[in-house]
Amino acid sequence: ADIISTVEFNYTGDLLATGDKGGRVVIFQREQETKSRPLSRGEYNVYSTFQSHEPEFDYLKSLEIEEKINKIRWLPQQNAAHFLLSTNDKTIKLWKISERDKRAEGYNLKDEDGRLRDPCRVTELRVPTLKPMDLMVEASPRRTFANAHTYHINSISVNSDYATYLSADDLRINLWHLEVTNRSFNIVDIKPANMEELTEVITAAEFHPHHCNVFVYSSSKGTIRLCDMRSSALCDQHSKFFEEPEDPSCRSFFSEIISSISDVKFSHSGRYMMTRDYLSVKVWDLNMENRPVETYQVEQPRVPSCPSVPVPVRVSNACPCPQVHEYLRSKLCSLYENDCIFDKFECCWNGSDSTIMTGSYNNFFRTFERSAQRDTTLEASRESSKPRTVLKPRKVCTSGKRKKDEISVDSLDFNKKILHTAWHPMENIIAVAATNNLYLFQEKVN
Amino acid sequence: MLGRGLKRKLSDYEESMAGLSSAFDSSRGLPYPLKRQLVLNMCLTKLQTYKMLVEPNLHRSVLIANTVRQIQEEMRQESSQQPLNICPGIAPAAHSFTGMESPGISLQLPSGVGQQESHCCELRSVEDPIENSLLIVSDDDMSSAISSILKDLDFVEDISPPTCLVPTGDDQPKFPENTGLKLEDDRQDLKGAECVFGSFEISNSTSYLKDLAIDDIFEDIDTSMYDSDFCCPPLMPPRSPSLATEEPLKTFPSCNSSSANNIQICRTDLSELDHIMEILVGS
Repeated sequence: ADIISTVEFNYTGDLLATGDKGGRVVIFQREQETKSRPLSRGEYNVYSTFQSHEPEFDYLKSLEIEEKINKIRWLPQQNAAHFLLSTNDKTIKLWKISERDKRAEGYNLKDEDGRLRDPCRVTELRVPTLKPMDLMVEASPRRTFANAHTYHINSISVNSDYATYLSADDLRINLWHLEVTNRSFNIVDIKPANMEELTEVITAAEFHPHHCNVFVYSSSKGTIRLCDMRSSALCDQHSKFFEEPEDPSCRSFFSEIISSISDVKFSHSGRYMMTRDYLSVKVWDLNMENRPVETYQVEQPRVPSCPSVPVPVRVSNACPCPQVHEYLRSKLCSLYENDCIFDKFECCWNGSDSTIMTGSYNNFFRTFERSAQRDTTLEASRESSKPRTVLKPRKVCTSGKRKKDEISVDSLDFNKKILHTAWHPMENIIAVAATNNLYLFQEKVN
Repeated sequence: MLGRGLKRKLSDYEESMAGLSSAFDSSRGLPYPLKRQLVLNMCLTKLQTYKMLVEPNLHRSVLIANTVRQIQEEMRQESSQQPLNICPGIAPAAHSFTGMESPGISLQLPSGVGQQESHCCELRSVEDPIENSLLIVSDDDMSSAISSILKDLDFVEDISPPTCLVPTGDDQPKFPENTGLKLEDDRQDLKGAECVFGSFEISNSTSYLKDLAIDDIFEDIDTSMYDSDFCCPPLMPPRSPSLATEEPLKTFPSCNSSSANNIQICRTDLSELDHIMEILVGS
């Protein structure tokens, strides 16, 4: 099994697609509830597997183009078939996944085993009939959108008009029409005339869920720009600019690196958006540009040294009491050395936008209930997740006496990281990718 | 005597930590300039490593370059408050780099961009002996290293003659022309590494091929012998010269931004290519 590089539910939640480093896409389908197996509802089983991208060799630059799937985005279903977009560093493909459960029998010019009949031998004509057959799921590439990106594609996003989509690389964002593969429009270009002046790259981009003219893109400097495609053909001028002023007391050598936004996601309502940087998740109100409305520290330890200080789940102003700093902040230099500081964590909303989720190290992932101000840390591992057992919340302690079941900061495994998570659009089912394993968790239903 | 040794768990993470960075993280007592120097060295080491890569990660390179700039700016501000100490041994940056060469990091050290002088010496005199033992690189080195890395990451796509392919006044590194290259192997390595990025500059899409003015660079190289028959892809020379000798067929280094030194490399390789062609054709 290969390292999973992207996870995405479709619009109904019945299908879950994963892409991996080897260019393969595996689609899982939710089992329907049946009388004979009432508990099987909610289980996802493999529906289709196909090789989406192959490694390519760019002869001009003598570079191998990785086949790793960076992103998968589903299209809303419009007929019996399912469509999804999958992309690697350079090429986006539109795949059609369709079911075949009937086959035609009784051809005139062919035998049952496929051999051609001699036309002279045909004495009567018959109409072929459709007979049922075992279900076969076929995936076929319908469009290939290539040669539009010089840099590595990091995001794709389907527009709410269901006819266009955007693709973003480090310096440019292109707009495509799903039917047209030989042309794309460049809508954002932040490449400076002189590359020596380059100080910022695009890290993620997404279309607004309802307004087909609005999209946002995040940068490596921790800023988000909202653009309106009606204002001009080239959206280099943003309509809104979201940036939180830096707290000087938190400044360190790595401030800029940890402020780089790794993911941006609109809420389902379209009113908010969420960004993930290295240490926190921030929720922004689209109407307020100068700071986020909610900030969640991803790695929050239990601090034994000041038990009377409540550990805030939601931080409304920057930099609380230094003793409740996230435990990663004290390890930034080491994390910089081993490149973990560049890990790109994703984040996601639940269907009702009441809860947000993101991954962390040691195969931990965190959920934050926004209004209840409750957060949970859970672990995705074989040992702690037997089917149907309830997950136990985990806690990390920084120093001092380690309580039972707690993990000390120094024994966290930074090679086990959960970068990709997805939440079912309607129910409380989550998919968590831990390196090369996919975990599916469901809310316990009594 | 039976010792009651305590078992310590050495996690994978701890094993991968270098001594210095853990010292940075755990010790509150490290003086700030030392911490800063440590971070700076790590950044430069990373940038150097990225230069060696076939395809450096642009996002990371930009972040690290910004960190270096930030530290550089801070150092500059601090040093502008200190009295200037000009070291007599250090020649102006534009023409000599040997004095600035730090052990261990063989960065490309052109002046290229107009910079203030005498920074390297200030650094040495201000900081302690302990810090001197760390790799101390001057301002000029840093900014020119960043410039060179970012320039190398440039992509040429536009129809208009790409300025980066043609040497222009300030941007061109001056040192290859003036200096007798002392550290030949290192230079060749670096040029080899630069040629790696040089291949970046040719657009990756075949549709752009006809728009590029590649021929300008090769004007002075006689390629008539190789025009029709020789269609080997322009692979970059491998990192170390020793690897190169193992390859059965030496290829052109891909065209790069500008410097005359690359043309020299092209010429060197061409003569070797000549030799190999003779063997092939001869047999």
